[in-house]
Amino acid sequence: MTRLAFYSFIRSNSVKIGLSFLFLTGIISLFIGKQFIEKQKQNITDTAIYQKEYITQNVKFHKDDMGLLLYYLKFSLINEVPAISGLSIGQRDVNPSIKSVTIRGLEGQKYDTDLNNPYNSLLGSLDFSFVLIFLFPLLIIAFTYNIISEEKESGTWRMVSVQSKSLFKHINKLFAIRLALILVVLLLILFLAIPVLNIPINADFWAVLATSVSYVLVWFGICFWVASLQKRSNFNAVVLLSVWILLIIILPTAVNNYLVNKYPVPEALETTLKQRKGYHEKWDMPKNATMDKFFAHYPQYKKYPVPEEEFNWLWYYAMQQMGDDESLESSKEMKEKILLREKSSRAIANIIPTIHTQLAFNQIVRTDLHNHMQFLDRLDDFHEKLRLYFYPKIFENHLVEEENWSKFKPEYAVTAHQINWGESLLPLLLVTALISSFALFNLRKI
Amino acid sequence: MLKAINLLKSYNGKKALDNISFQVEKGEIYCLLGQNGAGKTTTINLFLGFIKPDDGNAFIDGEEISTGTSSLNKKMAYIPEMVQLYGNLSGMENLDFFSRIAGFKYPQEKLSEFLTKAGLQEDAHRQQLSSYSKGMRQKVGIAVAIAKNADVIFMDEPTSGLDPKAMAEFTESCKELAATGKTIFMATHDIFNAVNVGTKIGIMREGSIIHEMLTTDIDANELQKIYLETI
Repeated sequence: MTRLAFYSFIRSNSVKIGLSFLFLTGIISLFIGKQFIEKQKQNITDTAIYQKEYITQNVKFHKDDMGLLLYYLKFSLINEVPAISGLSIGQRDVNPSIKSVTIRGLEGQKYDTDLNNPYNSLLGSLDFSFVLIFLFPLLIIAFTYNIISEEKESGTWRMVSVQSKSLFKHINKLFAIRLALILVVLLLILFLAIPVLNIPINADFWAVLATSVSYVLVWFGICFWVASLQKRSNFNAVVLLSVWILLIIILPTAVNNYLVNKYPVPEALETTLKQRKGYHEKWDMPKNATMDKFFAHYPQYKKYPVPEEEFNWLWYYAMQQMGDDESLESSKEMKEKILLREKSSRAIANIIPTIHTQLAFNQIVRTDLHNHMQFLDRLDDFHEKLRLYFYPKIFENHLVEEENWSKFKPEYAVTAHQINWGESLLPLLLVTALISSFALFNLRKI
Repeated sequence: MLKAINLLKSYNGKKALDNISFQVEKGEIYCLLGQNGAGKTTTINLFLGFIKPDDGNAFIDGEEISTGTSSLNKKMAYIPEMVQLYGNLSGMENLDFFSRIAGFKYPQEKLSEFLTKAGLQEDAHRQQLSSYSKGMRQKVGIAVAIAKNADVIFMDEPTSGLDPKAMAEFTESCKELAATGKTIFMATHDIFNAVNVGTKIGIMREGSIIHEMLTTDIDANELQKIYLETI
């Protein structure tokens, strides 16, 4: 019976077109992801070459002045782009995966980024997560909105009702056939992603797969519930499309709007201003005022005398340091606010499957905000390490040529990554169970 | 085999069935005549369990319909005015599908035999149903009923729109089924077919059975006269 119901379904041209379209879009999304990964890899390769060339050139130009040389030199830190991130580009298209910084004030450099075409940001990326979150539900709706209702409208249902030993089982089989076909397309796309994106088959991959399947189950749950109301096909279609618009467009926009208003980040501007002011105003202040604060921060450098000449690199880098120190509080507050927004959006997302799936994907493939904030923390450490290494060499005016500059290659940030299976899957499975139980309740007397 | 006792059904205060009672014996073909809205389809829907009576009782083989048990379901088959099956399946696949959901698994040869018995030419067995005429669909519907081996077959205007040849074949199939002990309860407009195929005739008006007669006691002309006077 299942075989025949399957034939009846799959022989429809609209089903074949729908499945082919979804599969094709999925494949396109993989190649878009591949393009993104390759671009990122190329950027990393280019950065290593650029850094080497830039250091070599500047060492040649400023061989007599370590302080001046380090004014110019940039050192890169890379937030590695795992191959699996091609499945969900997330915030990596706006948050850079490579930061190149000098040892001058860090705060101002943290948010320097390449220019992005705003039209690209507006359109978003047609990556796998987009196909799954936006397009899969549409096909699920198209395949299931008229289960029961179409048969009632065409008259087949009466024959089925009289013949069938269990209408409930019959309905379940119809849903199971559609679910199986959608899952086949989903798995085909994901398993094709392995060779296309060169994804290792590890916990990250299985987590993406499990989250994708859970998300598909949520939509089947919703469609099952609507079918269980046993209304007409056009009613079902309108309700399901309304749910799609609500979950895909309205709620994410509303949640974003709510969070932006609830947690405004005036500290973003404040940090920039404080950093600039913290540095620039020191030019007009007595050197002692700057140096006292600098020595309080780094007591190990108290051994260097307060400079008396008009310009000195110790004083200059102390001024730069003050820019960071004086904007430290607002920078921390900004970070806390951003993380609070992230935390709140995750909490709200627990009951909104679309947002939850996107956040879960980004978290698994490391393209989320949390990963970027960790990267910025590692950038702090990286910058501090560079400062602590070069400060004494600048203050003691070491010879440029004595330094082994070839050892300064781009470094990779180590960010913590852990898959929380429960956090990723449980909200989706609970929503599915809840909605399906409503449907089962509606169908209890069928 | 079929028994209705004081069945009452109203829609928005309007009586669709008004205390109707009748009885159909095993192997009988009971034809229910009446105009549109007389209550014929309501009667069938009630026996099939699609609707519940406001009052009264209906029985199939002594078992009350309201129990809705699966054993009741096994006892009945249904052929509607337009037999709607799955257009993407062939006649044989449809028969197989509807047999399987009823709990019967037949080999291909047996399915083919049922279709042939119902009057469907063999070269059409494996054609997609979307290419079938109404008459061919009705035959698949009969085959479904035969394959289910149901004791009672309810038919709602089954000959409506059939060409004379198809109607003759359909009539023949019904008689063959009745000869094997199946009970047929048919709602129809067609007086001549009722006399030809039926063993007992009931004439309905406004939810009531006004006349009931055996076809052996009456010919088509007399029935037409009574019918026209009744409605």
